[in-house]
Amino acid sequence: MQRAYISKLMELAEKDANVLHILADSGTGYDEMFRMNFPEQMYNFGISEEHMVAAAAGMATAGKIPFVYTAGAFLAYRSLEFIRDDVCFQNLNVKIIGMGSGLAWSSLGPTHHTTEDVAMLRVIPNLMILSPATPRQVAACVEKAYKHQGPVYIRIGMNNEKEFFPQEYELTKTHDIMSEGDDITVFTTGSILEEVAAAVEMLANKGVNATLINVHTIKPFCKEQVLEAAYKSKMLFTVEEHSICGGLGGILSEILAENGVPVRLCRIGLEDVFAAGYGTHRSVRAENGLDAKSICDKIVEALK
Amino acid sequence: MMIKNDEQKIRELRKQIFITGYKGGLAHVASCYSCLELLYVLYLKGILRYDAKNPDRKDRDRFVLSKGHAGLALYSIMAEAGFLSEEELKTYLQPGTHIGGEPCMRDLKGVEASTGSLGHGLSMAVGMAMAQKADKNGAKTYVILGDGECEEGTVWEAAMSAPVFKLDNLVVILDYNRIQKMDFVDKIIGSDNWKKRWEAFGWSVDEVDGHDIVAIGQALKMPNETDKPRLLIAHTVKGKGVSIMENNPNWHFKLPGRKELKVFKEELEISDSELE
Repeated sequence: MQRAYISKLMELAEKDANVLHILADSGTGYDEMFRMNFPEQMYNFGISEEHMVAAAAGMATAGKIPFVYTAGAFLAYRSLEFIRDDVCFQNLNVKIIGMGSGLAWSSLGPTHHTTEDVAMLRVIPNLMILSPATPRQVAACVEKAYKHQGPVYIRIGMNNEKEFFPQEYELTKTHDIMSEGDDITVFTTGSILEEVAAAVEMLANKGVNATLINVHTIKPFCKEQVLEAAYKSKMLFTVEEHSICGGLGGILSEILAENGVPVRLCRIGLEDVFAAGYGTHRSVRAENGLDAKSICDKIVEALK
Repeated sequence: MMIKNDEQKIRELRKQIFITGYKGGLAHVASCYSCLELLYVLYLKGILRYDAKNPDRKDRDRFVLSKGHAGLALYSIMAEAGFLSEEELKTYLQPGTHIGGEPCMRDLKGVEASTGSLGHGLSMAVGMAMAQKADKNGAKTYVILGDGECEEGTVWEAAMSAPVFKLDNLVVILDYNRIQKMDFVDKIIGSDNWKKRWEAFGWSVDEVDGHDIVAIGQALKMPNETDKPRLLIAHTVKGKGVSIMENNPNWHFKLPGRKELKVFKEELEISDSELE
């Protein structure tokens, strides 16, 4: 996803000199590629995330379009007040890119996990939140963020996510319908899509047919598909690499309750805990019940 | 040194700021008085390049009041500069007003940054100065920063980065009034030597009497012959102009009670009817 992000940003930087790549000592080889091509459109602020976010807001007041990029945890948590006051309250054209969202920084533990960011950020007015699942969807989300005049937060992964979308993929206004089944509907978001898609296949083998919906735009949220799913499915599920509090599961709970829809919802994610374990992204997901098999087992259990 | 018209104007502004704040029911009057002359010189003595009728002009200079709690002083000076009318200013904190207690760019064109939470303004100003340099339009960014505010960590993140980006178009005025909300700054964070600290961070540092209009003007007009950002340490008196408020930490956030009001009225030459 990092490569997809930088490639798309370079494309935008080439056509618009106001597009800036802003780092907090968070670069990789991909960023060096950007620097070689657009040295005057890249700034490294060093390890100072709050300052970087506020300075990006200052740049935006002068017509620049800064894309601020570092580990999601250091943006969403450390810089929260700066995102709120300087970017969102002033409604400035700053794009905030949280890299390695969810459990992607698996080996470094919860200080590096971004598992409450959606809950924290979605309550801030003016902020659009995008959560791409694959490299092509990252590119499409960056394009959408660029075209949107105002603050955007994009949470992206970083571990060679599987591609599900065609070469010429463009974001739709609705959520992506990945597969269709009559029994239940599973909503997911972000790079955990590959685990959920595998879980849906396992469910089919057990005779449970699921519709799988991928949410690329968390805010503003398209409610219609939730209500449609609620009327046609016997149960709804959300799966997210995030706390079950306040994230995708929280959003669906709000929609269902407000619309008086009598359908059961099961939220799968971190159950108000910090993630346990270290190791590969896949192994930490498994340890926290978020790999394909655990997701499948939880759904089967909930349907009993 | 101050010429007579300016002296008179500053007295009037102190009086109006108090009346407006008192009628609004809340104001950081002492903080406003501490930086009043600094704002006056910036906006009304030919330092800032702006057009109040065209506040979005791209090559304008920018000003950020990082110590946003002196917002009433900024709004009062901006009224003098033509960004808002006196009638608008008088609606301060009244129901339905757009003139609030901290500067807000949503509410008034010409306000360059919405401040209030300390430690944000200098960072935003760094971004503004970077954009001005990238656009090569010769514009500058000015900031008034509180000395108590320097306890915020981001101030030093910003202080570290501005020399690295060679922001010779960034001018920070430190409102060195020595007092924060609960006490004197040096009692809370220890003794300070701002000149040494900022020079160590790579800034070009000068000092000035922050209530001397002529001296402030001269200091701000001095060309920056380095590639460094500038810090002007303005020695100020918190609560300047009202004897019981001057240099007294009790007055950070307070409006006078009945007995104290007498002193304010006498010293600011305010009549009973002006407070009605």
